[in-house]
Amino acid sequence: MKIVVCIKQVPSTNDVKIDPQTHNLVRSADGVINPFDKNAIEAALKLRDQTNGEVILLSMGPESYRESLLEGLAMGADSAYLLSSRALGGADTLATGYPLSQAIQKIGDVELVLFGRQSVDADTGQVGPIVAEYLNVPQVTFAEAIDLTEDHHLIGKRRLDAAEQEVEVELPAAVTVRSEMNQPRYATPRQIQKSFEKPLTVWTEQDLDLDPERIGLAGSPTQVTQVYAPAAAKKRVTMLTGTPEHAVQELLQSL
Amino acid sequence: MTNESIWVYIQLNQDKIEPTSLQLLTKAKQIAEDKPVWAILLEPTTLTAEATIQQYGPDNILRLRDDRFAAATDEELADALEQVVTQYNPNSFLFPATTAGRSLAPRLQAKLQTGLTADCLDLAFDGDTLVQVKPTYGDNIMCDIICPDRRPQMATVRPNIFKAVRVPNSQTEVVSATFTFHPETTMTILNTTRLISQTASLSDAQTVIALGRGANQPKTIELARQLAAKMGGVVGVTRPLTDDPQFTHDQQIGQSGQTVAPDLLINLGISGAVQYTVGIQNANRIVSVNTDATAPIFADSDYGYVGDATEFLEGLLAQVK
Ligand SMILES: Cc1cc2nc3c(=O)[nH]c(=O)nc-3n(C[C@H](O)[C@H](O)[C@H](O)COP(=O)(O)OP(=O)(O)OC[C@H]3O[C@@H](n4cnc5c(N)ncnc54)[C@H](O)[C@@H]3O)c2cc1C
Repeated sequence: MKIVVCIKQVPSTNDVKIDPQTHNLVRSADGVINPFDKNAIEAALKLRDQTNGEVILLSMGPESYRESLLEGLAMGADSAYLLSSRALGGADTLATGYPLSQAIQKIGDVELVLFGRQSVDADTGQVGPIVAEYLNVPQVTFAEAIDLTEDHHLIGKRRLDAAEQEVEVELPAAVTVRSEMNQPRYATPRQIQKSFEKPLTVWTEQDLDLDPERIGLAGSPTQVTQVYAPAAAKKRVTMLTGTPEHAVQELLQSL
Repeated sequence: MTNESIWVYIQLNQDKIEPTSLQLLTKAKQIAEDKPVWAILLEPTTLTAEATIQQYGPDNILRLRDDRFAAATDEELADALEQVVTQYNPNSFLFPATTAGRSLAPRLQAKLQTGLTADCLDLAFDGDTLVQVKPTYGDNIMCDIICPDRRPQMATVRPNIFKAVRVPNSQTEVVSATFTFHPETTMTILNTTRLISQTASLSDAQTVIALGRGANQPKTIELARQLAAKMGGVVGVTRPLTDDPQFTHDQQIGQSGQTVAPDLLINLGISGAVQYTVGIQNANRIVSVNTDATAPIFADSDYGYVGDATEFLEGLLAQVK
């Protein structure tokens, strides 16, 4: 069984500031795998070990994303694809979901596509459902647990707003994974060494059958018009003084 | 036909209307200028949510009725919505940024080939263009996002950012939509269990007692529970406390937890990390107690006390009536 895990590389911290002069984002240069995507990789590895399957990582982004793909290979994935080229850059979620879904079709015979529930930087969680729609497969979002059945179905437990839901889908399907699902494994030194020998293929838009109108900036319906720091909350704090009893008294009088 | 209406998706959590949908009706009316506001309701015939929705003043309620909506998949909902969007061509379509909204909206977006902005904190119209304010990098950075050329302009909006205001509209017209329910044959919903949710009570609570790592002793937690019971409030926690099995993720406040909007919030032993404070921006009055006078939480507070959380709680329990 072929399982594709779509991963994103994110800055190692969200401590991002705006340069007051240039208005550019100042962020840490080192990237890591989006934490929720690690849960998705872990889920894929567990299913692979049950089914004798294959775990394929897929990402779209600049060459530097190799780092995360290598990290995922070191966790135990079998191979990786990076969609990378100028033409694919500047994509919003719609123009990201499209090339990813085309790549999954090119990989072929993929029965399960896993995603983290959302990325911690852009925080949209949209790419999973978009890919599911393009592949025309059922989606199980915000999954806390997944299991395969004998007859090739997947049972997923979803955590919704005020409810828990159990669903059964026929494969192929797409699942977005919550961090509650598992604890991602660490790469062993042996696995890290092996990761460099595993296939990591870079595809550009030339390798995929892509409509040029639907990729990159041109294929992105949304535009960012402004980037700024959030307005600082303006609170003036009144400090309460004395013993706790006194402070509570002071507080209750003011409230 | 182009219709410059603003659509709001009415999310049903079983038989209850998701509060964010009502908050969005109020917000849509505030920013609409002369655009009509439509509530889009997919409901089973056993329900009649119209009367409640009408209290929040939409111009129209577009109703899609089918008993299968009692437990429909994202694909089934998106398919029905696609049919009505292509009939009416709304200007924009707003969804709650709940798990249900964040699952359904992108599936619909892909069908419609339009833009969708996630988890917005604010919305405004510039002419017919919807300016969507979206946080990134864990709320450290804000972006204004537009979708200039395609319609509808879609957004999911964070719960509890806006207040729902009742303005009953006796003119609200209920329109029955024509559509076909297409069952998704490859997916079955086996069961949906309602959780006796602390989430709902936390995000709706008027009084919240929030505990952090400086207030994690069993005695302190017990006192906080007693105080919450006495004040008719609920207990919330920071992320480190969710490691304690007596708290669930539902009780976590902050970026990866709940946004709260109580009249009174009491923070005990909480340092005030930005991932926490983004969840409390809509609290009316904030009281914080911390042993460290330089704790960042004080910058977000109306009242502060430098001291021990447990002692302060004891004082409150003794003096609150
Ligand atoms: C992607 C991401 C998402 C996150 N999402 C969230 C989120 O949704 N919610 C969240 O809360 N956190 C979140 N965090 C974690 C967040 O960054 C902080 O680590 C967390 O909020 C700190 O919790 P705290 O204030 O309880 O603990 P600490 O930072 O350890 O603070 C404890 C405080 O208690 C004080 N104290 C100690 N003893 C006492 C005493 N006896 N009486 C009074 N005060 C005392 C100390 O002075 C200190 O200020 C997230 C982090 C990341 C990276």
